[in-house]
Amino acid sequence: MSANTWIVVAGDPAIGALIETARALGGQVTAAVVGPRAVADTIAAGGVDKVVWFGDPDQAPVEAYASAVADAVGAAPGVVLAASRPGDRVLLGAVAARLQAAVLTEPSSVSADGDALVVTRTVFGGIAVETVSVTGPVALVLDGGPVPPASGEAPVEEVAATPLGMTVVETKDNSFELVDLGAADRVVSIGRGLKAQADLAMIEALAGACKAEVACSRPVAEGLGWLGKDRYIGVSGQKIAPDVYFAIGISGQLQHMVGVRGAKIIVAINSDANALVFKDADYCLVGDLYQLVPALTKALK
Amino acid sequence: MKIVVAYKWAPNPQDASVDDDGVVDWSRAKSGISEYDPVAVELARRLADATGGEVIGVTAGTKKVDVSMARKAALSRGLDRTVIVADDSLEGAGTTELAAALAAAIRHIGDVDLVVTGDSSVDVGAKMVPTVLAGQLGWPSVGEVTAVSGEAGALRVERDTAGGTQVLEISGPAVLAASTDAAVPRVPGMRDILAAGKKPVETLDVSALDLPAGGTTLTVTGTSRPDLKARKGQMIHATDPAAAAAELVAALRGAGVL
Repeated sequence: MSANTWIVVAGDPAIGALIETARALGGQVTAAVVGPRAVADTIAAGGVDKVVWFGDPDQAPVEAYASAVADAVGAAPGVVLAASRPGDRVLLGAVAARLQAAVLTEPSSVSADGDALVVTRTVFGGIAVETVSVTGPVALVLDGGPVPPASGEAPVEEVAATPLGMTVVETKDNSFELVDLGAADRVVSIGRGLKAQADLAMIEALAGACKAEVACSRPVAEGLGWLGKDRYIGVSGQKIAPDVYFAIGISGQLQHMVGVRGAKIIVAINSDANALVFKDADYCLVGDLYQLVPALTKALK
Repeated sequence: MKIVVAYKWAPNPQDASVDDDGVVDWSRAKSGISEYDPVAVELARRLADATGGEVIGVTAGTKKVDVSMARKAALSRGLDRTVIVADDSLEGAGTTELAAALAAAIRHIGDVDLVVTGDSSVDVGAKMVPTVLAGQLGWPSVGEVTAVSGEAGALRVERDTAGGTQVLEISGPAVLAASTDAAVPRVPGMRDILAAGKKPVETLDVSALDLPAGGTTLTVTGTSRPDLKARKGQMIHATDPAAAAAELVAALRGAGVL
């Protein structure tokens, strides 16, 4: 069989991977797009059959259109896909509630088999993999992938929508530079072993010496706030597969290490010889990062 | 102001074991209040204290979520009372079923002004229950929330975005998922734990709730262990940092990754 698919989009057109998944299911692909008209147009050119657009959001946040999106999808249900981003998850949640759809996350493969959708995915933070066969409504959360290249021109249908009662009254940019860790060949990552924010300079020097991006464990970005939240690695953060990953002062909890499973080589530096990180590393250095990091920077020059 | 905190009593997958066929054995993994839920309780408590409100816990799961330890663990963190949907028919319940049970409990409580949740659960970690719950209730939902103020029907919510922060005004009830660092949760002391034993607990059966029929049949057709790269685990002695660094750099150059 072929399954008709909806892709729900909350203002970010980086849904190339969703279009590919939807196309592989063989049916009609409709995108329900919340956000500026330009986003709807980018997606309409990106290989879908139709775009449903909910009008200019003005001061309403993307989440305000959750019910409107659920109404649109509910009128012609199918498999529903969304990217793993906060706003997109909110739209998908509203749709899943409307359809009483099963919600499945982190799929590694999605295919149609007769009336069923067969999904293989990691579960429980990555400790196991399961394959499920689902009949009935399904909502899937996937990595969005890149913005789709222009390849066609699908019609954009504007649907009048009343947003939920929420308004953006203030927007502030933070001082962190956005980064694409996924594109980095080398990543130097720091955890709570770093004692002070000023010591990040030492980590940046190492990153500079091996042309790496700087990343971190979750508490360094959230809680301490020393680095941007798009720099933390882990089950709910970035999942990357660089050639080499330096885990420095990182204890190596499962929730962190899941994010670097794809790394070719993992180097661990930790003062605690029993740290979990050494179980998942290729090269293990037990010692003081304040001595080893400068030594490593010097050796790389 | 009537504030509900939806929390989860769950084990940490790090303590579970997985056999060669990918079957997860949870028997050695102790359950606890899910990692980030105390942040949600703290955020709710502060808002309730500022506005003269009440904080009510809500959870759903099998009978295990209603054991005495689970009740006290939740109630000692700053809830005034809790409502528990404990029913073994929820064994293995997915996101949508759990969200439906939570929504039913919230409707049962009635006149709720705000629902706060943690960022994600320690076991499933999908960040989807709050969004589906909001969908069930027909309320707005926002994640990555770092601060909440205001009053019932006129909330002021600050949330993190990819490039900064936004302040939102929300009229009417809403479901907010707190960022992991929205508040530093209080650590319950002996007095809190003793007091928790005296706080009201209401338990609800699934049969007493008006739950929507699920439209989906889901069959697990296979499980496996994740296909992990074998790691070398090679020790590099680091008593002499310069020698260790040289050895590591040589190894990495040899592997062609520098």
